[in-house]
Amino acid sequence: MLRFIRPVTVAGVLIAALALAGCATLRVNSYVERGADFTQYRSYAWAERGAFATGDPRLDNNRFFSQRVEEAVDMQLSARGFEKANHATADLLIHIHARMEQRIDAGTLLVDFMDRRTNRLAWRGWAERSFDGVIENQEWMEATIDETVARILAQLPRKPL
Amino acid sequence: MGRQLLRATLVLTVGLLLTGCATIRVSSQTDHGIIWSNYKTFDWGLADALPAGDPRLEKDPFFRDHVAGAVEKAMATHGFVLSATTERPDVVIHYHANVAERVDPDYVDRDYGSCASDDCRPRVSRYEAGTMVVDVVDAATNVLIWRGWAQGSLEGVLGNRDRLRRRIDESVRQMFETLPSAR
Repeated sequence: MLRFIRPVTVAGVLIAALALAGCATLRVNSYVERGADFTQYRSYAWAERGAFATGDPRLDNNRFFSQRVEEAVDMQLSARGFEKANHATADLLIHIHARMEQRIDAGTLLVDFMDRRTNRLAWRGWAERSFDGVIENQEWMEATIDETVARILAQLPRKPL
Repeated sequence: MGRQLLRATLVLTVGLLLTGCATIRVSSQTDHGIIWSNYKTFDWGLADALPAGDPRLEKDPFFRDHVAGAVEKAMATHGFVLSATTERPDVVIHYHANVAERVDPDYVDRDYGSCASDDCRPRVSRYEAGTMVVDVVDAATNVLIWRGWAQGSLEGVLGNRDRLRRRIDESVRQMFETLPSAR
């Protein structure tokens, strides 16, 4: 289980300060396995489904959160031509990790694509952002999830046309 | 003189708001496709698989009893009936209480001009915030149909029975205002 717990000191305070000042802080990044040809992958399946632990009691075991994340990923992958496949035959298996920093209402959402045959990480994308006030408004939370997932998956290597 | 007093009052007021003395933030989430009239009876669920809550709350019989009483009252006002022990309820309720440190930058200085130079850094207030989460689960499918929560500073609340009782009552009352009725 990957955890992104960092000592939040100056950076945390800064993020909270920016959040309060009304700036939407969203930082995305990704990693691709060196030498891997991501464009060879065509199909995916969820490695596991269901509510996951987040470090925030409002979101732990909360299907309104976890299902929205999964739906947003499904939608983005479908738009990019990936096929949803059976767990035993899919090229890629997807894991989601979410880590909320309750002290400042900020968090990290991370999407991992594992190569099912080699069981190695093929691609990882993540976003760090402030969530101040977002979780308290379900529609806003859903829109934020959709936007965050779209921004993360926009970094996926493009398939050749 | 008058201006100074006004400023002092303002700073104090905002300060109290930021440290969250009496502020409770409540919210809830649900699935809008749910037909609430299908649900009439409720009961308490077994301890759930959530990460361990704070023992100062969850292991405190006073807290537990008072939360149970407040939630049962709130459910009754929404038309739900506590299920007889022999029959399966329509919904099962779980609750969870957690305490975590929160950090809020304090903008009083910057916003109200008592800081003259450019290098004023925001002061930071740290406090212990409590979160109480109440889940309403469909007993037949074991699917979450409503989650409500309340958050607030616990300064002066933990260890003071009277304040804790009032805090629980107010948190549950406000949280359940968003619960659809079983009618």
